[in-house]
Amino acid sequence: MNFSRVWAVTYKEWREIFRDRLFFAMSFVLPVGIFLVLGFGISFDVEKISFAVLDQDQSALSRDFLHRFIDSRYFDYKGHVNSDRELMPLLAHSDIRFALIIPPRFLEQLTSGQATSVQSLIDGVFPYRAEVAKAYLTAIIADFNAQSLAAYWATTRAMPKPQALALVSPVRLVPRYLYNQALRSQWSMSSGLMMLVLMVTPPFLTALGVVREKENGSIYNIYASTISRSEFILGKLLPYLLISGINILVLWLLVMTVFGTPFKGDPLFYGLASVVYIICTAGVGLVVSLLVRTQVAALMLTIVISFVPAILYSGLLVPVESMGAITHTEAHLFPTMYYLRIAWGSFLKGLGATELAFDVLALVVYAVLLWSVGFLNFHKRPST
Amino acid sequence: MNFAELVVWCDRVLAMTVKELKQLLRDPALLLIIAYFFTADVYLAGSGINLSLRNAPIKVLDHDHSAASRELMYRFRAPYFDLQGELTNPRLAINALNAGSLLAVLDIPDGFQRQLLQGQPVAVQFQIDSTNTVLGTLATAYALEITAGFGQDFIAQQRGLGTAQQANLPIIANRPRVLYNPNRIDGWFMSISELLTVITILSLMLPAAAAVREKERGTIEQLAVSPLSPLQILLPKVIAMGMVILLGVGICLGLIIVPIFHLPINGSVGLFFAVTALYVFATSGIGLFIATVSRNLAQMAMLGILLLMPILLLSGAWTPPEAMPQLMRIGMKVSPLYYYNDMGYAILLKGAGLSVIWDSLLGLLLLGIGFFNFGVWRFRRQFG
Repeated sequence: MNFSRVWAVTYKEWREIFRDRLFFAMSFVLPVGIFLVLGFGISFDVEKISFAVLDQDQSALSRDFLHRFIDSRYFDYKGHVNSDRELMPLLAHSDIRFALIIPPRFLEQLTSGQATSVQSLIDGVFPYRAEVAKAYLTAIIADFNAQSLAAYWATTRAMPKPQALALVSPVRLVPRYLYNQALRSQWSMSSGLMMLVLMVTPPFLTALGVVREKENGSIYNIYASTISRSEFILGKLLPYLLISGINILVLWLLVMTVFGTPFKGDPLFYGLASVVYIICTAGVGLVVSLLVRTQVAALMLTIVISFVPAILYSGLLVPVESMGAITHTEAHLFPTMYYLRIAWGSFLKGLGATELAFDVLALVVYAVLLWSVGFLNFHKRPST
Repeated sequence: MNFAELVVWCDRVLAMTVKELKQLLRDPALLLIIAYFFTADVYLAGSGINLSLRNAPIKVLDHDHSAASRELMYRFRAPYFDLQGELTNPRLAINALNAGSLLAVLDIPDGFQRQLLQGQPVAVQFQIDSTNTVLGTLATAYALEITAGFGQDFIAQQRGLGTAQQANLPIIANRPRVLYNPNRIDGWFMSISELLTVITILSLMLPAAAAVREKERGTIEQLAVSPLSPLQILLPKVIAMGMVILLGVGICLGLIIVPIFHLPINGSVGLFFAVTALYVFATSGIGLFIATVSRNLAQMAMLGILLLMPILLLSGAWTPPEAMPQLMRIGMKVSPLYYYNDMGYAILLKGAGLSVIWDSLLGLLLLGIGFFNFGVWRFRRQFG
């Protein structure tokens, strides 16, 4: 391999990128833009769930019960309705996410020591939200029950209130959240988004860079020149790797400053692993560029094989363990899953090279594989 | 415009539409990718993506080894948890949580049963890997429910309270009913969400790419000197791509969503198609704007992705508007997908008709007219 020829291609490519000011600017703005929008936009913190109430009892006790919902930061009270017919249109129009129906004789039954029931209608369009809303609802009702039961036993069996409370809820579960103590989805999301952004942008840059030459026909200059295919590929991709390398640092800084996510791992290890990852994702772009002839097709194919898996199959939104059989296998076929483990491991868990060796190895294998495929399928003698 | 002129106008648009369709048909790679989007991609998203807790691996640190501690741990079972046995020391627990082989560890203290029998409150600890906040939230919610249930049953058993006696206590029974998707099948939500995403990507990218390609190759100059007006050049691109997209939606609903996911279409399919056509029109307006700004496909691709991300994110599918920060909520109002998303779920799952969705429809219509006219206006300034 003649490095002066590699350098010549790199220099030519760099000038071409640099002269296309919009493209050059976008190659830095795009990753940061995607990162910020997604980091602020995706949130799994289920809060401010809007709801309406049909109170058929209208007693002091029912109002007291309702206030536990109205005062909760998880719920957002939208008002009362007067009949259950009014509830369905509100739910259908997504004005409210659930409705509470308090039956008549609510106060009467509870004070006379009888059981009663509260119905809730939950919008199940997004099952995760429905599930979480239901869990919050259950917890509030259970808490209310525990207190009213304790009060009831304290009076009917003449025992002190703390003892009655211990009787009602004897076991308390103390959750301890490791790695992400406040259970803030932004910590997980921002560090995980490095995986997404670095999966999407390098393939775009490289695939468009190579296919542009194919579509414009300027690649015939390369075919006719003395440069070998490996020199061309290496020289062509180096500027894009440099841009992506700078983007790693920029994103890293943003994760820590804008989102305040702690970095607990080994910076040197994480930096090196990230470089392996962008070499790998640039390889994805290289392979795409060999499969298609037009830039439109390159664009669409890159979206299919980078964007979609990075969002859906990496474990960012959906844990790999809870995927179906086919998707579970598919998740292992993309490098995103391995890098996400490295990112979360480094940022949140404080893991280093020893624990994450397997994942880095997987990335290296991908990089070698993708670049070999790219090299072997790049021909200086096109068939047509 | 008299009748004869109208015929000529329509004739030209028709001829250009045929030309666009032919051009699309001659790019087999692109056609394959579009087919993949509407079939396999939606299928994979719908079948594999699961935002619920299923068989989460947990182990127990049992310091008590009593009948009560065993009773409690065996309540952590399928479908939510997969109890994988006991751990002997806390060090192993941390290692397993670090490696991600366990989601949570239940820590039952020494003297658990003794304290319970004495009527003293006991705390058990639940350590959760919360790097994935979705799983962390759900696991905690279920664990709280399980321990509360265990506590109540333990006391009831000890006091010899049967179910009949429990009904005579002043407690509120919780009767939640999940509407629209009573079994909380993630596939219903995910497949529709993915279909709407695919429609968005294609309707933003395809007409824009078709327009930029003409610019890049210079054929736009030929069109500009022809008797075609700018609208007659741009509209056929939108019509042709819109036809392909609607066909894809039909295939996706008919072959994937209804037969495979058994999604009950509660509303009018015709209305859904009409809304989709309007949405394609609105989104392609944004695409045409991008096409006028960029000089080549690489620029267009980057600008497209840059705009696509916020549009997809501010759709309200993953994070509903009420949970968004104020600034984001304003952004949602100008995102066409926000209106389309609302209507899509309302028609398909909630069975809503025009009377419910009219305001979203109006919003989308106004946005569509605005975006499309803006795109055509920019184009006219460039080539008129």
